[in-house]
Amino acid sequence: MLEIILTKKESHTVIQLNGEVDASNSVELDQAIQAVVAEGTKKILVDGSSLDYISSAGLGVFMSYLEDFQDNEIAFIIFGLNDKVQNVFHILGLDQLITIETGQDEALARLYEA
Amino acid sequence: MFRLPNIQFGKITVFLAVLTWIGLLLVDLTRVFGTVNEIEVGLDSELTWILEILFFILLYLFFSHSIAKHQNDNFLDLIWRAASTGLIAMGVGLLIVGFYVLMQDTPLYADPLLRNFFYHVNFALTSLFLISTALLWKHLILYQRNKSVVQQWQAFEIILLVSMFFVLINKNEFDYGFFFGMTFLIIYSTILSANLKWIPYLTFKEKWKSILFLLTIQISAAFLFFQIMDYSFKNPNLLDLSQNLFMLGLFAFVIIYSLFSFLVTLFNLPTSSVFEQKLIEAINFQRLSQSIQPGEKEEQVLDILMDSCMSAAYVDAAWLEIIPKDAEGREIIHQRFISNDDRLDVRKTIAGTKPFSDHLSKENNEKIEYIYGKISHELYKSALVFPLRVNKKLLGNIFLVKEVKDGFNKEMINIISTFVGQASISVENYRLLNEAIVTERYKEELEIAQRVQRSLLPTELHHNACFEIEGFSAAADEVGGDYYETYQFDATNFALIIGDVSGKGTSAAFNMSQMKGIFHSLVQFGLSPKPFLIHANDALSRCLEKNHFITTTYYLLDTASKKILFSRAGHCPTLYYNATTRRCEFLKINGLGLGMLRNQQYGNFLEEGTLTYSPSDVLVLYTDGIIEAKNQRMEEFGYEQLKYVVNQYHYLSAKEIKEVIIRKVYEFIGKDALPDDDYSLMVIKFIE
Repeated sequence: MLEIILTKKESHTVIQLNGEVDASNSVELDQAIQAVVAEGTKKILVDGSSLDYISSAGLGVFMSYLEDFQDNEIAFIIFGLNDKVQNVFHILGLDQLITIETGQDEALARLYEA
Repeated sequence: MFRLPNIQFGKITVFLAVLTWIGLLLVDLTRVFGTVNEIEVGLDSELTWILEILFFILLYLFFSHSIAKHQNDNFLDLIWRAASTGLIAMGVGLLIVGFYVLMQDTPLYADPLLRNFFYHVNFALTSLFLISTALLWKHLILYQRNKSVVQQWQAFEIILLVSMFFVLINKNEFDYGFFFGMTFLIIYSTILSANLKWIPYLTFKEKWKSILFLLTIQISAAFLFFQIMDYSFKNPNLLDLSQNLFMLGLFAFVIIYSLFSFLVTLFNLPTSSVFEQKLIEAINFQRLSQSIQPGEKEEQVLDILMDSCMSAAYVDAAWLEIIPKDAEGREIIHQRFISNDDRLDVRKTIAGTKPFSDHLSKENNEKIEYIYGKISHELYKSALVFPLRVNKKLLGNIFLVKEVKDGFNKEMINIISTFVGQASISVENYRLLNEAIVTERYKEELEIAQRVQRSLLPTELHHNACFEIEGFSAAADEVGGDYYETYQFDATNFALIIGDVSGKGTSAAFNMSQMKGIFHSLVQFGLSPKPFLIHANDALSRCLEKNHFITTTYYLLDTASKKILFSRAGHCPTLYYNATTRRCEFLKINGLGLGMLRNQQYGNFLEEGTLTYSPSDVLVLYTDGIIEAKNQRMEEFGYEQLKYVVNQYHYLSAKEIKEVIIRKVYEFIGKDALPDDDYSLMVIKFIE
């Protein structure tokens, strides 16, 4: 089960993920990110505080946008991951490629520091 | 034994019949000559009778042989044969009459011998006609054979045979015995004549023809009868062949049966169209039930259905509205005898008329089998709407309209209902069959994939006496994305790899086979783990889909120096049991999944680790399926539990450790749970 809530703020968009991302619903995540990118948002936050589980297919979705983010100079930050999910990112090494912050405040600070 | 060939049987009987007839003629001429000239010629009338009987029997044999050959001809051809024989016999009779009219004033006219000769000609043709027609009747009577009819006929044949010889008893006299026999034959013929089951099978046109032919047969028979009788009455002194019970019995049979057939056919004429209609319906029904063969389309069934419905109810116009699967609106197919404009007009009228409007606006009432009623359209006065359902889902509506009021009776509606039901079944079966074929094909393909993939995982893992190694893999779907393999460089040097492809199922399996190819290409260069993975990443970057990646750990093992070099590309950290410290630990070094960064920077994210092992140490290589295996409370098996199991059972052999881990994982997820990820495991136990 996955619920995706998009919240548009003045200069950034928050993608909130509730539940689990697996092979069956990773397409939804993909569509959500694609929609946000298509809008031209330059700052994207992913709120993972209610994300219970993410499978390799879900990680693959994030991975597939890394190049786009770089090319279009989009700032992409994930925050609020629980230990288990954080560990999944860590083992895979994805935390080296994506900025991961502990909470929303830290994420916002990181987003606007530059 | 000598047997007569079949082909010659006909010829022989004809030849013998002709001989018999000539014999009969000579005998009779001699007798007539004797009678006229009052000379005793020494030939008894018994001889005539015996020759006559012989002649009848031969003709009977010939025709019953000949009709057997034409058994499969249609009725009309057979009746025509009888009618034409009758016409020929009648024609010859008339010619002879004409001849005598011309010869009226010549001495030939009164010549008894000549007259007797012609009498024999007429006699022969009459017998021919009677016997051939009687045998035709036999064929028609026995058209629908059952035991009792066959027995009736066999009894009749025996009676006829007896009647032939009756002449020898009654001496050609009309006595009570003769009359009794004759009455019996007439009654029996009448009973037999009730077998007229062939008539309904004639079409309307064929019935008219058969009426004509039957009339011809009756006229011929009557003419021939009077001709024979006339001779007997006019020449009472001359010999008489006609007072034969057999011959008169046949006359009675031929005339009665043809009269019955004639009348029944005549009275069947008005109802024959109904019978034809029923026959067409039966055929349509059969076509509907057989129509969908694999490769054919539903359209064809619906086409037959429309035709069947239309002909069953004599409708003036019809169309079929199909509700398309995904799109809105209605698709009109099989529109018959109505223009698009008219159809829209009628459709509007129907949709605005009760009770049609209720169904057409909702269209989901499963109880409605059909709706029938009047409509107030300028041309069409009654309408019948049949919902067509497949698998309880509405496929569409059949609209049938007629120009007359109350144009559909109960019979018509019943038969259409049957057609609709059958068509639904056909379409349903067709769909089921197609689904089954597709599923079957998928299954086969998957089986092939499974077989291919199994062959990708090694059946034996390379090792030497210094260590034991055991592998295990189970896929959640038919095919999986887990991969492990070993390679031996020389007596003491080995390469080991374990990998997990993102996603699962078929796409993962394809990527796994790519990984295997890359492993085998690169392993031969004897690269150190880090450059090995950099090259692997480089290769995979070009062939993996954008959102796919592979995690792997690559090991180089040297049993001479007891050293292990390894690099981790995002794969679950290896579990290592150190026998010296008696502790388990995960070998955490940094790394990044293959395909996650597809450029030159990838190498920056990799580390290379070294490990020096001692005997009794254990290495457990596994995929995340094991760690993430969930029980019914949605708890994961987890790293700690794996560590705990290995800590507890490290003293066992590699094989036993592998089995314990598998057992523990399956116990954890519960008996009935289906694995939702691929599980793979490789256990290495160092001996020395």
